[in-house]
Amino acid sequence: MNGQTKGWRFIEAAAGMLAPQDREVVLGDLAEMDKGTWRGLGDVLSLAARRQFALWRSWRPWAASLGLALPASLFLMGWSVAASGAAASLLAGPPQARLIWLSLSKVFLVMSWAWMAGFVVGAVSRGALWASVLACGGPCVHCLSLWPGHGLSCLRLLIFVLPGVWGLWRGRRELTLGTGMAIFLASTGALAFLISGKGGSIYGCSLLWPGWYLAATARRRQE
Amino acid sequence: MVGEFEYLILSAAAHLGDDAYGAAIREVIEKTGGRTCSLGALYTTLDRLESKGLVKTWMSAPTQQRGGRAKRMVRVTGEGVCAAREFYQTVIRISSGTAWGESRRGCVTGDPA
Repeated sequence: MNGQTKGWRFIEAAAGMLAPQDREVVLGDLAEMDKGTWRGLGDVLSLAARRQFALWRSWRPWAASLGLALPASLFLMGWSVAASGAAASLLAGPPQARLIWLSLSKVFLVMSWAWMAGFVVGAVSRGALWASVLACGGPCVHCLSLWPGHGLSCLRLLIFVLPGVWGLWRGRRELTLGTGMAIFLASTGALAFLISGKGGSIYGCSLLWPGWYLAATARRRQE
Repeated sequence: MVGEFEYLILSAAAHLGDDAYGAAIREVIEKTGGRTCSLGALYTTLDRLESKGLVKTWMSAPTQQRGGRAKRMVRVTGEGVCAAREFYQTVIRISSGTAWGESRRGCVTGDPA
């Protein structure tokens, strides 16, 4: 197949869904066989679909998308509104040490929780990240369109979206954290729920698992 | 025991010997087997065969013919040979005594009655 044709560019674009090794092998096979654009596109899509099907037979993508990304996006949206509201109240009046401490600690907890959640999503389900991104981004877009200008804004979303994306990137690369960092994140994660008043609820308890997952899979220092 | 498609891949790879890789195996299955074979089905089945220890795969050096891309080479292991032989013998045994299993009768195309 001519590597310069429009059809081939479609095939190459579709092959972006495959893992690097699969992509190289399949594109090489198609370049060698020259079976036509539609057949080539079908080959790429069939392999991508089968790879995804195999991934979703495991608990990992389910836990990452429905067990973490979706509920975490709801929690983080509410928590980022509260944290940014506390920070905004500092500007309204004379600065007080207690208020500064409270607002900074809230912002820190949101950011560390978002980083932890992103790391766990990236580490648990590397091949089906699109589902976690949809599960997290869907509620955010829905809430932004439903209540424009009422508390939630794109700027406030950035408080957790940026650390979350950073954590996701690190989680994909490293998979596990050191013991100290994992226990620190698990503790701050639990603290966030206690402060927000959700620590005793089923919802709050169900979102503690990323911290304990990191602690359980942490790299032990070699003796 | 291996499945039908797994058997076709094992047979095609054994037939090709040192030249067994994805595109070549597909070509043999389509030309000799007379059926279409998608790369999705081929590579996921190869993964399964490899996890069972019936084949071994590795990446070759990139070739100009493939736009500088590598091949996924395939070699049937000893266990793969045994599994393919078992499938073949089972098919032969279970086919004996049937109209299509008796070579002297040839291919029955119409109503046997």
